[in-house]
Amino acid sequence: MLKLEHIYKWVSAGGRRIFLLNDLSLKVEKGEFLSVMGPSGSGKSTLLNIIAMLDEFQEGEYYFEEEAIHQLKSKKRTEIFNQNIGFIFQAYHLLDDLTVYENIETPLLYKNVKSSERKALVGDILDRFNIVGKKDLFPHQLSGGQQQLVGIARALIIKPKLILADEPTGNLNSKQSDEIMQLFQDLNKEGVTIIQATHSESNAKYGSRTIHLLDGSVSKK
Amino acid sequence: MIRNYLKTGSRNIIKNKGTFAVNIIGLALGIASVIMIMLYVLDELSYDRFNEKADQIVRVVFKAEVNGEQMNEAVVMAPVAQTLKNDLPEVTQATRLAKSYNNRLEHKGIYYGQSELGYVDPNFFDVFTLPIINGNKNTPLDEPNSVVISESLAKNIFGNTEPIGKTITVSNRDEQLYVSGVMKDIPKNSHFHFDLLVSTLGYDQAQKTSWMESDFFTYLVLKEGAEVAEVEAKLPAITKKYMGPQMMEAIGMSYEEFQKDNDIGLFLQPLTDIHLHSDFSDATTLEQGGDIKYVYIFSAIAIFMLVIACINFMNLATASASKRSKEVGIRKVLGSNKNQLIYQFLAEAFISTIIAAVLASVLFALSIPFFNQLAGKTIEFSTILNPAYLLSLLGLIFLITILAGAYPAFYLSSFNPLNALKSKFSGNGSGIRSGLVVFQFVISAGLILATLVVREQMNYIQNKDLGYEKDQLLVIKDTYLLENNEDNFIQEIENDPRVASVTHSAFVPAGESDNEVGGTFQNGEFLRRMYFYNVDENYIPTLGMELLQGRNFSKEFGDESDKVIINEKAAEILGFGKDAVGKTFQRDTREGLKDITVMGVIKNFNWKSLHQEIEPLILKKNPYGGVILRSKSANMSGIIEKLNSTWNQYNPREVLNYSVLDDSFQHTYLKERKMGTILTLFAILTIIVACLGLFGLVTFTAEQRFKEIGIRKVLGSSATQIVALLSKDFLKLVAVSFLIAFPLCFYLMNRWLQDFAYRINIQWYLFVLAAVITLGIAFLTIGIKSFRAASINPIKSLKTE
Repeated sequence: MLKLEHIYKWVSAGGRRIFLLNDLSLKVEKGEFLSVMGPSGSGKSTLLNIIAMLDEFQEGEYYFEEEAIHQLKSKKRTEIFNQNIGFIFQAYHLLDDLTVYENIETPLLYKNVKSSERKALVGDILDRFNIVGKKDLFPHQLSGGQQQLVGIARALIIKPKLILADEPTGNLNSKQSDEIMQLFQDLNKEGVTIIQATHSESNAKYGSRTIHLLDGSVSKK
Repeated sequence: MIRNYLKTGSRNIIKNKGTFAVNIIGLALGIASVIMIMLYVLDELSYDRFNEKADQIVRVVFKAEVNGEQMNEAVVMAPVAQTLKNDLPEVTQATRLAKSYNNRLEHKGIYYGQSELGYVDPNFFDVFTLPIINGNKNTPLDEPNSVVISESLAKNIFGNTEPIGKTITVSNRDEQLYVSGVMKDIPKNSHFHFDLLVSTLGYDQAQKTSWMESDFFTYLVLKEGAEVAEVEAKLPAITKKYMGPQMMEAIGMSYEEFQKDNDIGLFLQPLTDIHLHSDFSDATTLEQGGDIKYVYIFSAIAIFMLVIACINFMNLATASASKRSKEVGIRKVLGSNKNQLIYQFLAEAFISTIIAAVLASVLFALSIPFFNQLAGKTIEFSTILNPAYLLSLLGLIFLITILAGAYPAFYLSSFNPLNALKSKFSGNGSGIRSGLVVFQFVISAGLILATLVVREQMNYIQNKDLGYEKDQLLVIKDTYLLENNEDNFIQEIENDPRVASVTHSAFVPAGESDNEVGGTFQNGEFLRRMYFYNVDENYIPTLGMELLQGRNFSKEFGDESDKVIINEKAAEILGFGKDAVGKTFQRDTREGLKDITVMGVIKNFNWKSLHQEIEPLILKKNPYGGVILRSKSANMSGIIEKLNSTWNQYNPREVLNYSVLDDSFQHTYLKERKMGTILTLFAILTIIVACLGLFGLVTFTAEQRFKEIGIRKVLGSSATQIVALLSKDFLKLVAVSFLIAFPLCFYLMNRWLQDFAYRINIQWYLFVLAAVITLGIAFLTIGIKSFRAASINPIKSLKTE
């Protein structure tokens, strides 16, 4: 699915380089459910952002389904991202001015999906997540768990090949957290590749593989 | 997609009602101003364009400087038209027009009173597009005394009966006119308006061959493609050829010799320049025209208003970027590309602009009466419903959308999604924002200063010592109509106890006045033309003028027709200095040169408007035409009532025609007064709109620094210190704007003041006043908001983290 080779990313501060990723190599196969663990500042979020092509790196190579991402222009990269990847945030990041239904619909609008098709797709996913009754509510009217559910539904609506989740349950209690993880596992069984960054051992266990980051590199497999 | 944009846009609007209101009100004011001023400007520019040959027609004008006297006249000599047509191949047609000032009409014994009458050459209708709707359509003026009358005059005199072939009498000179055609009323936007156009074939003046006197407005039609400048360049040779011999005969000087010390010549003025670009002496002006300066000033103001409103939009949109950045980040992560975001923000700007345009239309509809009164136009709301205007309004909406929406759209959509989600975005927007705020206040402060300067000048005019007392003077015109009863009428006025004094004269220093100009000579040699006032012995005391030397006219000394009183300026030009009394010079009369002796010198008084320097003036005793009276009290209604009844006793055919001299004086500066009103209005509007924007910006700053304010308060900062903290930066910007606005405004207003021969110097305190007003209003705006931010309990602001 994707392959990172000797990735270096740093920022310069006061003439010194601070490495966010330091010679990081990683291979993820199709259908995997990878958990990335590590303490704060170990580079989990940076890694996810780089995989999502939202952030750049200074050295190294990145192949996404044989495509050499590091050689592509940003416009092309955005296109690949938009086609293949769904992103889930710790802070949900729903659009406050839009209802649940509209939030889920938005990615389809950007892909110019026809209105009737949009209706069917959004309807399906609302059904599946059991949030049909909430479709006309605004984000601030939902609980955290429900908001994250909407966030996941929104990420899934474009039928992505890869889901990136950056501490998806960081703001949730353990019961909500388990529900979300269960959902991830189900999705994974349907063939969606998932990479999640997490602090929690128990969450990591839902994955098929776990890696640990320390100071920007993989410490043990 | 568009629906989605509209949805987000409208919900965003509802959420940010305050900001939105600021934007909409500002934009609506801007758009309404633009609509109004656009209509005004288009109307001003439309003058004389209705003529099919408008682009080929030029007017021949006369400009000269003779013995230091500037002459700028829109009339030229009678033979000029025919001569230019004969001698210049570029001229395809030439036609003349002479205005007749005193025309009282009668038909079948019924009296119709004063009417506008002009004598025109028979080909007048070939040059100007004035459609004849009844009668001889091709050659209506080919007979002497034939007349084409306007539709409304025809209706007034003949009602529904056939006017063609009927006779109208000009009763005051016993002239019989035969109606040969009826033309449509001359359009409003024409530089002349007549109800009767009489053939020049029976008009003696028109047959003259003299190149030494000017009587005719002369228009030429040039061949298509002919350059005005090229034709104009041929005029000096023609003038020399025809005027030369006559000049030799009249003043015994050859044309070349005369031109050595003087400068006279004919020039061409395009027809479409007449309304806005004319600067000719009042006596040779057909109608008071417009002024291109005011077209420029008002256009600039409209654009300023719009730009200020657009800047508000831009500033508030970029300032609120922190609020919108999260949305931008999410949308980008959800698959939006930059263009889609740009469209979204432009769509929001578009919605706002549409709403503002609707509001502006309402504002416009409400202010039409006020606007018409101010601009002297008759614009109706339906005017803007014509397709061309609607289309340009739509164009304007798009323009504003781009102007106001483009910068925020590009700015917001360029955020990096990761930074945007963390609300970390580059702060370079604030530099541009500061620049825009400065720009807004440059305009506001500039307009405030301009308003103060105009007011100061108007005050100066109001209070200037004119050399006569303008208050409580009543001018009664056309008393000659009373014929034999004129003296009785004057006697009755004199006997009224409310009247302080009365003089018999039709010459007044403000408003409509009789005119007499004549050549003056010294030792038989031409000196220059001077103006004459025909007055009686009561004139100087009644008008409150000051006699510096000699004595006034007096009945005791019998015939004083060879004696004159001159003003200081005339004494100076004649070279008489301090002892002018008893000195003699000559004036031109029909019987040749006549000796006149100076009997007195009066102090200079402003007998023309304050736009012009005082010119030499000669008072001679020859009372006729009108009456001027000075009332004992400011309330003259009683006197006017009495005058009316006395007048009707003697002349029931026409109503009493009177005016209050002070009103006429005020009317002279109507253009400036209107500009003062408009400037005041727009100065207020721009400062309001600019402050609306400032208010919005302070609100955002206060929000951004919410936490900082809380921390500072916990650390012991007082509310005043917080207010200072928030206001300082903005007030600095306002102060910077003065540095740009004041020199610019000083320069421009000085140029405006050049229009007045008598003017104020722009004093330092006007700058201080303008600065205090602007800063005061700005501080009030900022202060209210920042004081509120400063008085919030710090616990509240710190808890939000």
